[in-house]
Amino acid sequence: MGGFGHYLAIHFDTLRKEFWFLFVGGVANGFLYGMVAVGYTLVYGVLRLINFAHSEVFMSGGFAGYFVMKALIGTSSPNGFATVYLIVIGIVAGGVVGAVVATLLERVAYRPLRKRNAPKLAYLISAIGASYFLFNLAGKEFGRYSVSVPQPYINHTVFTIFGAPVQLYYIVILVAGVIMLLGLDRVVATTKLGRSIRAVAQDAETASLMGVNIDRTIALTFIVGGALGGAAGFLFGLGTGVVFTMGFTPALKAFTAAVLGGIGNLRGAMIGGLLLGVAESLSVVFVQAAYIDVVAFGILVAVLLFRPTGILGERLGRAA
Amino acid sequence: MKLRLNKTVAAVASSALLLMAVPAVGIASASGAASKPTYTIGYEGPLSGGNQQLGLNMVFGVQLAINQANKTGKLPFKLQLKTYDDQGDPTISPTQAQSAVHNKSLVALVGPAFSGATAAAEPYYKAAHIATVSPSATRVSLATSGWNNFFRVVADDGVQGPADANYMVKKLGKTSVYVVNDGSAYGSGVATAFAAQAKTAGANVVANATVPGTSQCQAGTASTTQYSAAATQVVASGAKGLFYGGYYCDLGLFLGALQSAGYTGAIMSDDGSLSPALIQATTPASAANGVYLTCACASSTNKSFNAQYQALAHFSAANATYAPEAYDATNAIINAMKHMKKVTRVAIVNALHKLTYKGMTKVIKFQKNGNIAGSAIYVNQVKNGKIVQLGLE
Repeated sequence: MGGFGHYLAIHFDTLRKEFWFLFVGGVANGFLYGMVAVGYTLVYGVLRLINFAHSEVFMSGGFAGYFVMKALIGTSSPNGFATVYLIVIGIVAGGVVGAVVATLLERVAYRPLRKRNAPKLAYLISAIGASYFLFNLAGKEFGRYSVSVPQPYINHTVFTIFGAPVQLYYIVILVAGVIMLLGLDRVVATTKLGRSIRAVAQDAETASLMGVNIDRTIALTFIVGGALGGAAGFLFGLGTGVVFTMGFTPALKAFTAAVLGGIGNLRGAMIGGLLLGVAESLSVVFVQAAYIDVVAFGILVAVLLFRPTGILGERLGRAA
Repeated sequence: MKLRLNKTVAAVASSALLLMAVPAVGIASASGAASKPTYTIGYEGPLSGGNQQLGLNMVFGVQLAINQANKTGKLPFKLQLKTYDDQGDPTISPTQAQSAVHNKSLVALVGPAFSGATAAAEPYYKAAHIATVSPSATRVSLATSGWNNFFRVVADDGVQGPADANYMVKKLGKTSVYVVNDGSAYGSGVATAFAAQAKTAGANVVANATVPGTSQCQAGTASTTQYSAAATQVVASGAKGLFYGGYYCDLGLFLGALQSAGYTGAIMSDDGSLSPALIQATTPASAANGVYLTCACASSTNKSFNAQYQALAHFSAANATYAPEAYDATNAIINAMKHMKKVTRVAIVNALHKLTYKGMTKVIKFQKNGNIAGSAIYVNQVKNGKIVQLGLE
């Protein structure tokens, strides 16, 4: 027991020293997970379907950002106002392409099935097929090895929080993440579009009787979710590089986050993302880096054992 | 009656065949190929996937050697290349090997490129008596598995790992080192050899941690977030030297994370990371500066080879890791075949065991177990985004 106490003492000492550094990185990752997770949760809300091709929406946003950055930056090293302007352009490019790909997915992979009242299993197969098609197409068109995105800034420590350095890259993710997630939350809670989404999520048939255009609402849901997923793809690629398989693991984590928070629950997806990011990051003190994925899924299993509907529960169709 | 009819049919058929064959031979001799038989030399390696660049580097070396041999016209046969794409993956490799084995005109093979893929494929090549000459598979145990058809023109990890450790501890003076490997047969092999020798040389080896390949690099399914975690652990350990056993794509991700975590010590990796694609895969690219990359391979300084390679591959031979070795491996096979009355798979295996041939990188002479006799490890460093050869370790 003395040995184990000693082990814990050492690790808690490291945790105390590294806490804020790990926390900041975890929050940044958490925002990325959250931005992708809302895409899963929104689509689940209106269609009761997990859009497993969402990883490719993320990937296409990453590539859109890469090509725009490459065209605008080339070999120069921008700073100051140019940095802000480039990042905004990158996010918009990622978001637009993400929305376009998500719309195409809805049109090609899901709507025909919906019109024919296909069983849910058919959607799943269709999603996986679309995913394989898209990432292999990207591999064929853009090459099959990872390339780094030209940087719109020189990444550096902007300020320290309790002695831990906070880097510009993390600040970019935090600011973009907060703006987009808050914006989405308001859109769903207060606008007419948000009301339609919630109405379709609650009861599609009744909603259509009340004059809600279901096809249009579903299409817009894909656009909104795709835009956030694509923007997250750009932000992820900025720090990691882009490659045709880049969507796989982050999207799987985001799906985990959505389930963790309560699938179909918008705020649940955001909270689930942050929780997963931070827990993963802090777990490093106690386990080897290789086990970080085990921690993520361990948390999911543990939470689902006690709350099968996730942390906030499946509050489908309510005002978030 | 029936028998007689059959004979007639056979006679008619064979004379018809002869008539058809005559013009065919005529055309062939008009193009200068006369009755020379054509043999296939195979290449097995990654020609798609995350490690495609290493495979491409080699395949152009093989093609160049074959082109040159055909061009001289002195050989009693023509050669052609057939490639087998195993993506460097041990699960794909056996299928590719079986496909190569069933190619009747294939007499010998350059490769397989990766150690894991070689281990998986070699039983099939051995059963078919196909000589395989690898330009790059460096796992130690490949030479001791009883495959008499196995040859390689590079030194194994047993040589590279310890030489790297001596360089890190004695030349660079790092007495506290952290070792990370990607969990692959190759990466963990070289990392473990490094760790053992670093300890012997008097350094404190803080850890030999496995950080598996990520889905970003298709070498695995792990997530890229593990690298910031691993980088944090390296910094927290206070180690002054870091050795990475693995490939360039994942190392690139790790380098970005190490810079973010504020790591300032020396970083060294093996030949799997020795590629300009390492700098491409590193965000930001400057995080790759200063990294030491070692290799049993030398970068080519032969001007004529470099010019011809560039013309064929449309990229420079200077940074094409293992291109010179692939070229030498192919020429070793061609030289083994050269004086044969009858070229067979078995005859090439036997001839390679006796071969002494002065290649471009070194004298190619194999030990009994297929290892190259005598070797040297070169050290390179990334300077301003370019890989520069520093010299022998």
